[in-house]
Amino acid sequence: MKINRNYLQTFIFVLVYLFAIYFWSQPYQERGIPYGEYDAMSHFEVADYIAYNDKSFSNLPPYIDLRYGADNDFKPHTLWYPPTFHSALAVSEAIGGERIVPVYLMNTILATFIIITVYFVINSLFGFLPAILSSLLIIFSPRDFMPFLWGQWPERFGYAFIPIILYCLYQYFISYSKENSRPGYLYLTALFLGINILIHPLVFFHSLAGIAVLYIFLAIKQKKLALSWKHISVSAIIFIVIFMLFPYQTFNIFSQFGRNTADAKQASFDLSRLFQWSLNPADYAGSVPASYFSFSNMHGLWTLPFLLIGIFILLWRREEKDLFLLAWLVALYLVLHRDLIGKATFLHRSLSASAHIFAPLTAVGAVYLASAVKLPPKFNTYLKYALVAVFVYLAFTVNMKDASAILNKNTYNPNPVNGRLTSDFLKTLTQPQFEAAEWILENAPPDYNLSVLGIPYKSNFLQATAYKIRWFAAVSQHVSRFYYLYENKTQIINNPKWYFVLDYTMLGAVQDKEAFDSMQAFEKEVLANYTLAYNKNDMRVYKLETKQ
Amino acid sequence: MKLSSEVKELITFVSVILLVILVFSYYFFGITGMKVVLGIAIMPLPFYIILSAFNFKEGEKTVFSILMGVTLFPSLAYLIGLVISFKLAIAAAFIVFMAAAAVAWKFRKQK
Repeated sequence: MKINRNYLQTFIFVLVYLFAIYFWSQPYQERGIPYGEYDAMSHFEVADYIAYNDKSFSNLPPYIDLRYGADNDFKPHTLWYPPTFHSALAVSEAIGGERIVPVYLMNTILATFIIITVYFVINSLFGFLPAILSSLLIIFSPRDFMPFLWGQWPERFGYAFIPIILYCLYQYFISYSKENSRPGYLYLTALFLGINILIHPLVFFHSLAGIAVLYIFLAIKQKKLALSWKHISVSAIIFIVIFMLFPYQTFNIFSQFGRNTADAKQASFDLSRLFQWSLNPADYAGSVPASYFSFSNMHGLWTLPFLLIGIFILLWRREEKDLFLLAWLVALYLVLHRDLIGKATFLHRSLSASAHIFAPLTAVGAVYLASAVKLPPKFNTYLKYALVAVFVYLAFTVNMKDASAILNKNTYNPNPVNGRLTSDFLKTLTQPQFEAAEWILENAPPDYNLSVLGIPYKSNFLQATAYKIRWFAAVSQHVSRFYYLYENKTQIINNPKWYFVLDYTMLGAVQDKEAFDSMQAFEKEVLANYTLAYNKNDMRVYKLETKQ
Repeated sequence: MKLSSEVKELITFVSVILLVILVFSYYFFGITGMKVVLGIAIMPLPFYIILSAFNFKEGEKTVFSILMGVTLFPSLAYLIGLVISFKLAIAAAFIVFMAAAAVAWKFRKQK
């Protein structure tokens, strides 16, 4: 039986992609408990609210509004991003029939979509081997999976559009002539660019830079301008229709742009930045780890020679498809140096797009190196497959090994690892906390609030445990506050609209006997009139019964 | 309607791929995972049909329709969900896009 070569290659890619899903989903495969930094909470909250309550919303629910009510400059108290991404997660939750795994699985699929789009584009232009090798490298790219773990979810998905947008423009340009052209590709460029802005504005501007550079490169190479007012007009209409789907959110981009322009007045022009690819880790201390700015840590030093060879080969050859990759690389360079024109907001986040173009360039370098050496054709083929084997070996032994140290089953694990608690114990809900939060969701009226005691709040714990209270709010869908840090305590005591949550699960681990005694006294004295409504696994919820 | 051998081959291949993905999803994520995968398989369907009405390659149709399916479909469901239940809105969005696909298919036949 003859097997179709394309099908076989696609099948291999599907296996590689499923491995990516397995690898990236390790933190929730067994626990099924939400995790991530503040951004993750916000995205989970929006999607989960829609699916759980079976309704979309225009104004933010109180527990989300508390933090994000002012984030939309154009229309405060509404979503700060268009709901496209969150609705996809919500659809997944509605279809999946539970709250956590569908949202996280869908997010994993969307975050790893860059692997699919890079494979598709590189396979179309350069063939199977560079495409599959590129996909393999991106699976283990920490600059991709770290932001995914932290919670920059829409941004991760947004980057999947860049190769597709550039590909569509490329196909339009290549096929363009006065007699014959494929305007469908330009319409798709506009459509995907519009969708890109609905997913994440930062990536939209990255795509714009890519479009400009690719157009210029191709125009120079082919000595023509692909310019049809009819095609451009139709494309503009498509883009505007998509843009206007969620005007409260898309117009917020202009408001924020204005705000950032005001900030930019303080920017200074540092010429030396032109010769640096990465950024200064010290400028982002406390935000992202220093390793995030290291080529060696993020890509593996072994990829550098192949990357440089890849760039050299493309520069030497300069075919249209070579210019495609070079334009993509130059676009990344431009967005990474936008601080020189005063646009430094989220600069480090643009660095997270580097593997998307470095991986194909590295793969092209490895695969094409063999044919660059003058040997009998048969030996060239042997050399090519030998280099591919070395590439795969290094990807697994270096990149996967390093990636596994960051992304594994114990990432964001609140339970003891090898008998010891890690800092994730303070950042992620444990099973008892998760169950208590779900009980509140199902039993407390939506307009009631929670006052939480028992979560460590002293200065050395405060930042970490703030995560805990925010996750509690996200899962319970109720405004949740630290009792001890809440200023108007008199307003919440003996107020039936405030439940008290006493969490005894953490104090033993942090050896805070003082807080334990204080909570016991609080139960006896302050909550004497309250009813113990939930008491399970050292989690207690009190409510004040009102006489009807 | 008689299917060409190419179409039959394609259907067989897609079925095998879908089966592999469903087994994978079930093994790691249980029934929930399978449902999510089926949802993702259904959302792009109308867009695949729409793109099939034009002259795009198989790979292009597949990747483009998935991207449209996981973005335009939920966007419309969200908008409809402002007035009716979100679950009903998902069904309504599917009907709307399938209707658009039918129009595109008819347009192709006329061409």
